[in-house]
Amino acid sequence: MGKILIVDDTLFMRTLLKNILFSGGHTIAGEAGDGEEAVAKYKELKPDLVTMDVVMPKMNGIEALKAIKAIDPGARIVMCTAVGQEQMVKLAIKSGAKGYIVKPFQAPKVLEEVKNVLAT
Amino acid sequence: MKEVPAKIEHNNQWIVIKLGIGDDRIALPAPINQEILFKAVADVAERKNILIITVKTDKETVYKILSVEKVLAVLKKLILGSCNAYRLMAYFMSPAIRGGVMIKEAAWEKGSVVVVQSGIWFVGATKQICVPVTDVAAIELTKRDVQGKATEVVRIDHVESGEVVSSLVLCPLSTLQVLYNFLKETTKGMDMKGTELDGVDQQVAMLIYSGMDSHAIENMLNIPHKQLDAIYDKILKLGLADVVTIRREVQLTTKGVRYISDATKSQTN
Repeated sequence: MGKILIVDDTLFMRTLLKNILFSGGHTIAGEAGDGEEAVAKYKELKPDLVTMDVVMPKMNGIEALKAIKAIDPGARIVMCTAVGQEQMVKLAIKSGAKGYIVKPFQAPKVLEEVKNVLAT
Repeated sequence: MKEVPAKIEHNNQWIVIKLGIGDDRIALPAPINQEILFKAVADVAERKNILIITVKTDKETVYKILSVEKVLAVLKKLILGSCNAYRLMAYFMSPAIRGGVMIKEAAWEKGSVVVVQSGIWFVGATKQICVPVTDVAAIELTKRDVQGKATEVVRIDHVESGEVVSSLVLCPLSTLQVLYNFLKETTKGMDMKGTELDGVDQQVAMLIYSGMDSHAIENMLNIPHKQLDAIYDKILKLGLADVVTIRREVQLTTKGVRYISDATKSQTN
């Protein structure tokens, strides 16, 4: 079980992920609505894992991923994006993402992916 | 012709036969006494380890063959290679995404995509995967990074044992468009015209997709039970969902209240 930071610009998605992760026994360390806030919250909360939306205002998910990796190279980040943006996978993986979730997603699979990434 | 043990449904009973397998046909011995040319096969489907073959000559006949996986794999490969179907050489990745999670070990496999009446088959050197048309949720042209280049692929979303699975097909662009159009035509029964949901209804549908129950949905969206019931009715009417559980909400009667009062008294005394 881990302490997780949820990053997404929509409240609905954050609430959904929060519920899924909470049902899997994880603790929600915090939430962020954009990339800049995600980096700040990461420094402050030191979560075990971050779920990171890709398309966000101010700083996008890939930039935030790179910024967090620069602070903590061991950071576990699972990218989370909409269908049709799967071509971002390679860029995200190259930049250090440990996993990738495509919206819409199903709770058991999200929990499985989080568990796998936390085990790394 | 090689002979293998199998079972075939005949007059609503499974009978054991020695199934003959040749290069272009199979032979069904007595009491069926029939040879089936692969090119006469109009449809191939699979339910668990039963292969369902529809043969069209002057009439349509359906054969159900049950055998071990190894025999069925040989049969499927031979039939799908010659049956009456839309067929093209392609690379496929199936599954590529399961339940929204990218499968890291998924790799492109060289083979063919065979579209028959009832389904889409991915036929590779080691596996044959059948996606029944009725299980197809979406077909889209999308881009995928292939050897460092954003490349057009066809994505087929389908439901498999309650999980949403995405498979990808990669082939030359000219063929890809033909395949896309053909798949769209094959699955035109899933046209979504007239299926429109407004904001909250859509959020409810998304939460159902993610596996949330009614209690979680009410809490997450902060909506009363009655409103959720009305949205469920709308979703059911549109054929977007099925009822799986009916939850009962009850209220204690006077007798029930008396029981609890007595029970509490006996615990505190």
